[in-house]
Amino acid sequence: MNAKAQKAKGCGIEPAYYDAVTQAIRSEAVKVLKEGAVSAVIGYLPGRRKSAAVPAVVTTEEEAGRLIFSPACVNNLSLYLTKAKKGILPGGKIGIVAKGCDLRALAGLMGESQIKRDDLFIIGINCAGVQGAVAAGNGQLTEASIAKKCRECTAHTPEGVDFVAGTLPHLDGLTPLEAEELARIEAMPQAERWAYWKEQFSRCIRCMACRQVCPFCYCEQCLCDKNRPQAVESSPRPAGNTAWHIVRAMHLAGRCAGCAECERSCPMDIPLNLLNRRMAQELKELYDYEASMAPQEKGPLNQYKEDDDQSFIK
Amino acid sequence: MSRIGVFVCHCGENISRTVDVEQVAAAAGNIPGVAFSCDYKYMCSDPGQNLLKKAIAEHNLTGVVVAACSPRMHEKTFRKAAGAAGLNPYVCEMANIREHCSWVHENREMATAKASDIVHLMVERVKKGKSLAPITVPVTKKALVIGGGIAGIQAALDIADAGHQVLVVEREPSIGGHMAQLSETFPTLDCSQCIMTPKMVDVANHPNITLYSYSEIEKVEGYIGNFQVTVRKKARSVDESKCTGCGVCIAKCPKKKIPNEFDQGHGMRSAIYVPFPQAVPNTPVIDRENCTMFQSGKCGVCAKVCGPGAVDYQQEDTLTVESIGAIVVATGFKLYSIDRKPEGSMIQGYGEFGYGTIPDIVDGMTFERLASASGPTGGKILRPSDGKEPKQIVFIQCVGSRAREKGISYCSKICCMYTAKHTMLYHHKVHDGQAYVFFMDARTPGKGYDEFWRRAVEEEEAVYIRGMVSRMYQKGDKIIVMGSDTLVGVQVEIEADMVVLATAVQPQEGADLLAQKLGISYDKYNFYSEAHAKLKPVECATAGIYLAGACQGPKDIPDTVSQASAAAAKVMTLFAKDQLERDPVVAKVNEKYCVGCFACKKVCPYGAIEEKEIKDRQGNVVKVIAYVNPGVCGGCGTCQATCPSKTVELDGYTDEQIMAMIETL
Repeated sequence: MNAKAQKAKGCGIEPAYYDAVTQAIRSEAVKVLKEGAVSAVIGYLPGRRKSAAVPAVVTTEEEAGRLIFSPACVNNLSLYLTKAKKGILPGGKIGIVAKGCDLRALAGLMGESQIKRDDLFIIGINCAGVQGAVAAGNGQLTEASIAKKCRECTAHTPEGVDFVAGTLPHLDGLTPLEAEELARIEAMPQAERWAYWKEQFSRCIRCMACRQVCPFCYCEQCLCDKNRPQAVESSPRPAGNTAWHIVRAMHLAGRCAGCAECERSCPMDIPLNLLNRRMAQELKELYDYEASMAPQEKGPLNQYKEDDDQSFIK
Repeated sequence: MSRIGVFVCHCGENISRTVDVEQVAAAAGNIPGVAFSCDYKYMCSDPGQNLLKKAIAEHNLTGVVVAACSPRMHEKTFRKAAGAAGLNPYVCEMANIREHCSWVHENREMATAKASDIVHLMVERVKKGKSLAPITVPVTKKALVIGGGIAGIQAALDIADAGHQVLVVEREPSIGGHMAQLSETFPTLDCSQCIMTPKMVDVANHPNITLYSYSEIEKVEGYIGNFQVTVRKKARSVDESKCTGCGVCIAKCPKKKIPNEFDQGHGMRSAIYVPFPQAVPNTPVIDRENCTMFQSGKCGVCAKVCGPGAVDYQQEDTLTVESIGAIVVATGFKLYSIDRKPEGSMIQGYGEFGYGTIPDIVDGMTFERLASASGPTGGKILRPSDGKEPKQIVFIQCVGSRAREKGISYCSKICCMYTAKHTMLYHHKVHDGQAYVFFMDARTPGKGYDEFWRRAVEEEEAVYIRGMVSRMYQKGDKIIVMGSDTLVGVQVEIEADMVVLATAVQPQEGADLLAQKLGISYDKYNFYSEAHAKLKPVECATAGIYLAGACQGPKDIPDTVSQASAAAAKVMTLFAKDQLERDPVVAKVNEKYCVGCFACKKVCPYGAIEEKEIKDRQGNVVKVIAYVNPGVCGGCGTCQATCPSKTVELDGYTDEQIMAMIETL
């Protein structure tokens, strides 16, 4: 497919959209810093390479004037508000730039008493999508470069934020590759499916990047690092690998925001977001629960209702 | 190095029949860390316990495993014995080789192997176990009784007579409950008010009782011995401290045509009213929805005529927080009164009976008021539609009760007896009348109950028809009752002047909401659940909360009073101690690693988890973490299972212990 054909399919988002979002973020970030409403803003600054972006904590108006939003702004910034990354931020109220999936993470963290809404100034983005792990040369978003999670995103428009940046351009529906892949794996006979995942987990080198990048992995001591008693073997061998990935998926069930940062950061390309999505699907079917942009007091796995589905007890 | 003693019990033949106990004891002796093992016919007997005590001393044991029955049976026994021999009681554990093994298996060889495994597991658990000290919590010697019906009154008087402070909270403007509404009571036909009102006055005058009428429970926090209860005193619009109860306001109130709830809507009351003349407290309340002053701002007659100036239109609800040591829940019942299926309810309703549309079809409580000397008809039985005396009256039992297809499968227990009573009251007042009763069974267990029912049938001329009614409809001024007589096998049609339905007993409105505030469990009908159906009938699973009366299940007056006194006795037992000793099997948080996600707090069924601030030396809050209040913790371990980083653990069941057990298998 040539570039023109891609454009015709509506996958290329006009650069003007990202420029408009960038401008809105800059002016709002400068404003809140100037007013002293926040002590810092977590956002994205241009990276050293062309068309790259890096997460940044800006504390001055001058820096805030350099904030950007581009297809390269993939990181889930809510990570920097968690205890796992404590010490990065100054005290006081913090401004944060958040895409839809990041907002779901913020809501989850609020529900888990990790952050308080009052301590935040949220700049929500009308997000058209970001790029996948492999970026296209010119930094533009194309059907080839858009992240898989963004192809079937349900959180384009921010809710419950203090400021909305940008207007959502027209978005054409894209083939839901993840949903298709999930359906393909689900359709496998059990033995084949197990072989598939065993193969995936066997590649894990236990670098723990998926844990480091996840906003919900904020424990001071991970269960998988405990050695007295040891619940999960720590060296990269099949049993421990499988145990780790099961623990990770189970601990994220009903919490995962769907930012897919785990999968993006995985050096071994293990399709972790498929597991996350499968768990989310399970919770949707069993408890009619979905991670949303509104903080929930109790997740579905933290409460008991008499009419809960119990068909899984056999 | 551990020095564990293993004691294998034969339990007569209960265990030794299927398990080779000698082999189990011998195998246990080979487990590293086991210093002594033996078997004995009855470990729980005196010689058995002495064997254990002697072995602890002789072999200098550091832990004990008794392989016998369920810990629910004898854990206390053996821990006490171990304690007496100088060992910490909590390093004595039981391996259940009876319920979990000998009773459920037949193959001796396999059962023996399994018993050895169970013993091995427990040895490993005891090896990793720690000495624990019992937890003591103080007791506030003040009781709260929720509900001022006969159950609440009886419980309150008993506790107060024992010398303890009691707080009675009643939702309605007066105490008395349903019993105050009854005309006469079975099986003696004595006047209900005559036996009830003196008790009501006792409550009001008792120096140890504080009465909060027209009040509701807002919030309950804390735990056994140490509850903090917030009571909402609803605005009465009359200052209780000034009112003398003279009644002038009631006499002068211009709004007098309001259906009286006490008379089931068949009498009238004014907007400022006391529910009935014997009300306690005898302080009027203004029904703000029907008061002209509150609705249009014009009137104020009651305030003008009130000598002491007690009427206060500006009064607002007030919240009071009370420290309470024990709670008796006595919220009682209501009668089923549903003519059609309510939205989202499992109850079907009785549309086919014309219930709710035909005025002369009433429920049992309405009949009580019509028969009562203080009722709207002055004790004459007159039907509501035209005030005529009914000459043919039909009583129908089991309306709603024992009708699974209608949504309620239980028996309401009191209806057989009160219907028999109704036929008698009717016969005594309408000499030329005829009473018919449709019934499924006559259930009359109780002292003097069957004699009472026989009297209704044999001496008081009630005609009992065994069968149910299928349909009722109005024809002229008669109600046509279509039913079947299943003993004769014919269809019956009666032209009745009036029909009385013995409708099912249901828990009070809002029983579920109160249970949620209290943290007690309830069944699908909203009846409160006792801790054990047979052996703990007045206790709740939540420590320090007790049940009395019909809130737990349908009950007549004698049963209610008995249960109320039993609940009071439980409260007194609790108050007999200054400090409560609790099992130290409670959860503890590892403060270093807790990140304060409070997943544990969300799942804790006891409300035992609090938020604790960790401060540095300057007093700055470093982090907020979970803290388990040992006085409240029930030791269920749900927090331990939920904690994502396993930083909360149950003493006696630590991950280390559990893992050690798993690894032996």
